[in-house]
Amino acid sequence: MAQEKPLLTVENLSVEFTTDSGVVKAVDDISFEVAAGEPVGIVGESGSGKSVTALTLLQLVPDPPGRITSGRIELDGIDILSKSQAEMRQIRGDLASMIFQEPMTALNPVFTIGNQMTEVIRVHRKVSKKQALQLAIQMLDTVNIPSPEKRVKQYPHELSGGQRQRVMIAMALSCDPKLLIADEPSTALDVTVQAQVLKEIHRLQEERNMSMILITHDLGVVAETCKRVIVMYKGKIVEVAETKELFRNPQHPYTRTLLDSVLTLRD
Amino acid sequence: METIQYAIRKLLYSIPLLFGVTLIAFTLMVYFGPDLTYSLLGKSATPEQIESVRKQLGYDQPFLERYLMFLKEVVTFDFGNSISTGEKVSSILARTVPVSFAVALPAFIISNVLGVGLALIAAYHRGKLWDKSVMVFAVVGMSMSYLMIVIAFQVIFSTSYGLNWFPVQGWVDPIPDYIDAGFFETIYYYWYYYWLYVTVPTLTSIFVSLGYNTRFFRAVIVEEMNRDYVRTAKAYGIGNGRIMVKHVLKNAMIPIITRIIISLPFVIIAGNLVLENFFGIPGVGLVTYDAITNGDLPVVKAVVTWTAIIYVFALILTDIAYKLIDPRVSFTK
Ligand SMILES: Nc1ncnc2c1ncn2[C@@H]1O[C@H](COP(=O)(O)OP(=O)(O)OP(=O)(O)O)[C@@H](O)[C@H]1O
Ligand SMILES: [Mg+2]
Repeated sequence: MAQEKPLLTVENLSVEFTTDSGVVKAVDDISFEVAAGEPVGIVGESGSGKSVTALTLLQLVPDPPGRITSGRIELDGIDILSKSQAEMRQIRGDLASMIFQEPMTALNPVFTIGNQMTEVIRVHRKVSKKQALQLAIQMLDTVNIPSPEKRVKQYPHELSGGQRQRVMIAMALSCDPKLLIADEPSTALDVTVQAQVLKEIHRLQEERNMSMILITHDLGVVAETCKRVIVMYKGKIVEVAETKELFRNPQHPYTRTLLDSVLTLRD
Repeated sequence: METIQYAIRKLLYSIPLLFGVTLIAFTLMVYFGPDLTYSLLGKSATPEQIESVRKQLGYDQPFLERYLMFLKEVVTFDFGNSISTGEKVSSILARTVPVSFAVALPAFIISNVLGVGLALIAAYHRGKLWDKSVMVFAVVGMSMSYLMIVIAFQVIFSTSYGLNWFPVQGWVDPIPDYIDAGFFETIYYYWYYYWLYVTVPTLTSIFVSLGYNTRFFRAVIVEEMNRDYVRTAKAYGIGNGRIMVKHVLKNAMIPIITRIIISLPFVIIAGNLVLENFFGIPGVGLVTYDAITNGDLPVVKAVVTWTAIIYVFALILTDIAYKLIDPRVSFTK
């Protein structure tokens, strides 16, 4: 049986940061794949290189101080690392979108929701302002924000944290990306809201049959959403496994500590 | 409509502040200020004369009485007559303030617009050659003394050692009577002489303030560039130029406008104090300079009080500007 080509292939990727105290290897020779329509989790402790990995996929690591020292990234047949920043702009938000951890600050405070959403749509789609606004309203409706016609006229500070994160999700999905990268999308939210936002992301991922990389500290979150998990530790991938398998039989000692912490928290 | 209500409310709230400001101005300048009796009477005055002048000036009145007299001067725009020339203070101001604005305004606008532009370029190319060039230029501008720049510019632009394009000093005279100028000739005349006299002071003033402005604006813009919403905009494919002039600039406008408006009274009054003196321009700065050196209290009193009041209005203006830029500022505060 011919295996379908994965949507995303990362090979031997390394990223370094030059800091005052020397060179930090934030990502150290990692390789992984994400199939079309597949949700994959990346877990690992703080500083293990999850965010840097995610940013690198869209060439968003600030350079300097960051530098991609080796590797290859192929996304939907495109050799990402050979692209210029100008070429990357067409990919960002279109072929692949990203949701960040901080819903409170990730949106521009002095522009309306509608303004920011239509701006993104019009960067990637040749549509009129009116059509873009229509699409924005439709997307807000899709992520279950009540009275979206009113919301587009509002400013970020008029929305709750959970609603803002839904706006981010709506923005991320507005150009129908094939890959959604969600970097701790629920960590900064209230516990009850966390679950709702994650459920929303999970539902949309399945409905749209998108590939997704869900980054989190929390193995519990991954267990509910992703079939496969990548465990990172100090810039390296130490384990890749089916989620069920990982819970049943963790291979790496670090994974075991991670699991223990989840289990003690649950008790 | 909401904005107008907000402005009116701000104005009402500023009334106590205005009282405070005038009270301080009064206490420092008038109550504890120089005693005008002797400068009016000279050395050989009789005790009776002294007594009657003191009465005339109201020095025998209690503090509150005198403050109210001062307030009356403020609200009626009538500070009496200049001691040195005898001209009414209000007519001195009416004559000189427009000149000062005419001198200060082009430099003020150009220096701020140019400052924001250079700051955007420097911030955009942070750490690169453009940034370093702009910053070196800014620091050089900041570290040169005002006087040095005035002299250098006068030599370069107004003497036969340099370009000799402009007069060293002076200001536009009214059209002489013997010339029968039509409407367009009149406009051309004033336009020509205005720029003839205002160009070198304007260049000087820009040179002096541009470095400070650019450095401040760059710091503000760089700080904004590190915010999360910039990363978001990047991650969604928005172009860098657009991020700078749309997203970053509008957020940076809050501190930028604060600084611009708050500096306005300083620039118009204090800046012109120096500039008008060096370039022989008959503006309020020159008059104030003379008044201070001659102890002409009515003039100084008028200038200081009006500066303070304009300042309070400038602050109200900043508040309104905040509201127009930043939707998070609520009307009800
Ligand atoms: N802009 C930067 N400058 C210097 N070092 C950086 C920068 N960004 C990341 N790093 C370094 O890269 C390493 C990995 O950081 P990364 O943000 O990817 O961690 P993470 O796994 O996302 O952690 P967290 O769970 O806290 O978000 C860290 O050691 C960090 O210090
Ligand atoms: Mg992170």
